[in-house]
Amino acid sequence: MMQNVKINSYQFLILVTLFSIGTSILIVPSVLATAAKQDAWIVAIFGTGIGLLVIWLFCTLAQWFPHLTFIQVTEKILGKWVGKAVSLLFVFMSFIYASSLLFYSGTFLNTHLMPNTPMVALNILMAIIIVMGVRLGLETIARSAEILILFFFVLFLFLVLFISPEVKFENVQPVYEAGTRTIVQSSLSFIEVTSVNAIVLLMIFPAFINKFKQAKKSFLIGNLIGGIVIIILTFLSVSVLGADNTAAEFYPSYELAKRINLGDFIQRIEALMAALWIIALYFKTTLYFYASVLGIAQILNLKDYRPLTIPLGMIVVVLSLVIYPNVVYQQNWNATTGIFFSYSIGLFLPLLLVVVYAIRKKQLKKSPESSSV
Amino acid sequence: MKQCMFGLLILSLFLTGCWDRRELNELAITLAIGIDKVEDEYQVTTQVVVPSEVSMKGSTGSTTVALFTASGETVYEAIRRMTKDSPRKIYPGHLRMLVIGEELAQEGIGKSLELLSRDWELRPDFYVVVAKDIPAKEILNVTTAIESIPANKMFNSLKMSEKAWAGTHSITLHELIADLTSDGKEAVLTGIQLIGNKEIGSSKQNVETISPAARIKYDNLAVFKEDKLVSWLTEKESRGYSDITNSVKTTVTPISCPKEGKATIEVIQSNSDVKGNINNGKPEVDINIKVEGNVGEVECKINLTKLGTIDELEKIYEKEVIEIINETLDTLQKQYKTDIFGFGEAIHRSNPKEWNKMKENWDEEFSNLTVNVKVDMKLHRTGTINNSLLEKIKD
Repeated sequence: MMQNVKINSYQFLILVTLFSIGTSILIVPSVLATAAKQDAWIVAIFGTGIGLLVIWLFCTLAQWFPHLTFIQVTEKILGKWVGKAVSLLFVFMSFIYASSLLFYSGTFLNTHLMPNTPMVALNILMAIIIVMGVRLGLETIARSAEILILFFFVLFLFLVLFISPEVKFENVQPVYEAGTRTIVQSSLSFIEVTSVNAIVLLMIFPAFINKFKQAKKSFLIGNLIGGIVIIILTFLSVSVLGADNTAAEFYPSYELAKRINLGDFIQRIEALMAALWIIALYFKTTLYFYASVLGIAQILNLKDYRPLTIPLGMIVVVLSLVIYPNVVYQQNWNATTGIFFSYSIGLFLPLLLVVVYAIRKKQLKKSPESSSV
Repeated sequence: MKQCMFGLLILSLFLTGCWDRRELNELAITLAIGIDKVEDEYQVTTQVVVPSEVSMKGSTGSTTVALFTASGETVYEAIRRMTKDSPRKIYPGHLRMLVIGEELAQEGIGKSLELLSRDWELRPDFYVVVAKDIPAKEILNVTTAIESIPANKMFNSLKMSEKAWAGTHSITLHELIADLTSDGKEAVLTGIQLIGNKEIGSSKQNVETISPAARIKYDNLAVFKEDKLVSWLTEKESRGYSDITNSVKTTVTPISCPKEGKATIEVIQSNSDVKGNINNGKPEVDINIKVEGNVGEVECKINLTKLGTIDELEKIYEKEVIEIINETLDTLQKQYKTDIFGFGEAIHRSNPKEWNKMKENWDEEFSNLTVNVKVDMKLHRTGTINNSLLEKIKD
């Protein structure tokens, strides 16, 4: 099954970076500012640190089976039937998140740029390029990420440079008012979005990477770069908009782009800046979708995942329209159900696998390791 | 298959944004909005540009803006109801001025601002002012000279007077909302007035004479408590407010000469630093103002070639500005008990724990607050001449 597809570690680094930035760039500053007020950026720093530990756990798990995807690893460690059942849960998660992200991008465009366009039209357009990307394969996705990350960082640099005159340090003072407890608590959602959900990347890593050792480094560095981008954005949101405003806005970083005004000349460029969000959202959604499609194919022992892309693409669009009845529901779901869902699949499942592997180590070693199940 | 896909992609280029396309000739570009309260209903007035009148050719000589008014239980309802009157849909994306009627300001402005902060079309970088003594509608109903669009005149006038005079404040919506929601700072807004005959004011005839019959002019600052207007500052107090809150860009200040007569100091730079601290459990605020300036005008007999004179002028300036500031502080601490300077925020920044204790009755604490003011003036130049021509004029 498609084992000849390989991407290099640099391409993987870019995918990890875009995945970590993904949705966080839109919503995380607001979520963090709601809980930790002006200390939101400290939470982001703390969360990035803990997030790296989570990624390290993923790497440890991956290095035992350098030729298998996460689905295959689960089956190997937990046995065929239990493994398949657990894998279904994993696939379910990435599928739900793929449609949830489609909902995000649709809502974002609906709220700020095209309020009269039906969301179904926006989601279909987005889904078409996602399905196209997944059909063309991982190599194509990785190469387009290589090109688009340049646009991403150029735009990001502009955003940071142009908004920096508006920074008011009074807005982030007093520093560390929130206290350790709040900071640790509110970092949970940050770690969830940027690191724990990165479990879906185990469908690519290490099976489709040509050099494992370097890729392990890329995984950590990519996550760190993503974290730093979010730290910077959170800091800018709080210091420019103020903590209360950041918490009140749905998309504080978009509001940030709205505030850009250099000498009454460079202004009203937020629509251009929206490209930042769309690029990041696109790759995150594509990776979720890729993981779920490939996952289903591997659970069912199919030779090729491609026939699944179009039907599942249709389901994703429909699901994205009905997944949340409204934006308030979405926020509540994220804060309550979503966080447990992610942690159980993205943190407890790998931990469980590590424990079971430790117990069954000898038994597993006896059976000859094959690259496909 | 591939060609088919390619064809589809090309086609999709032409289809983008079909739903949300809005042609320029379907929009009523609104530059100013006025909100009043009339008998329990919001009365919203919009000043809309008449495109044919601002274009280079094809002007027919009528006014450059048109006014639409509608009432409703909520602001949004009123604005949408306007389409019954206006041929185009109100487009507030280029809004420059929001004028709030004094009556509404006294009742509270929070509710009427909610829509403006929520709607996606608006960019919260327009200025907010309060109409003094008259409804906001009347302010928008005046033609203006030099700037043919009244909203632009209001916008530029406020920007310029803030830059060169320092008694007015250009407060954008997001600054206002930040002030309204902050615990340790109350809001201020600049007042705007109509002077003269308002009947003629709305016609183009108004600007056909050298001295217009009606004109709009900025007044002093309005003090808010929560979101309700409580009082107006005097011109001197408005200036003091600017000094304290570090919003003086440039200005001129008349001071008395050592013996008699007046001199004017041109302030070219002013920096104020407000620091809060807790001293023996009592909150205290230190204000440090560093001013740089020139001697702008001398209407008395002093010897400007002597070094001592400059020192003397600096001292007098410092003393007189401290007086203005103390007067301002006194009015707000004793009379209105409203912390418009953000002293609460300063204390919050320096000592969050103590602040959380006194936050609830901050108004009381504020009125008993010790404020230490220090002004440091540096005079650099004396203009193009040294001693005044008055030296040579015999009395």
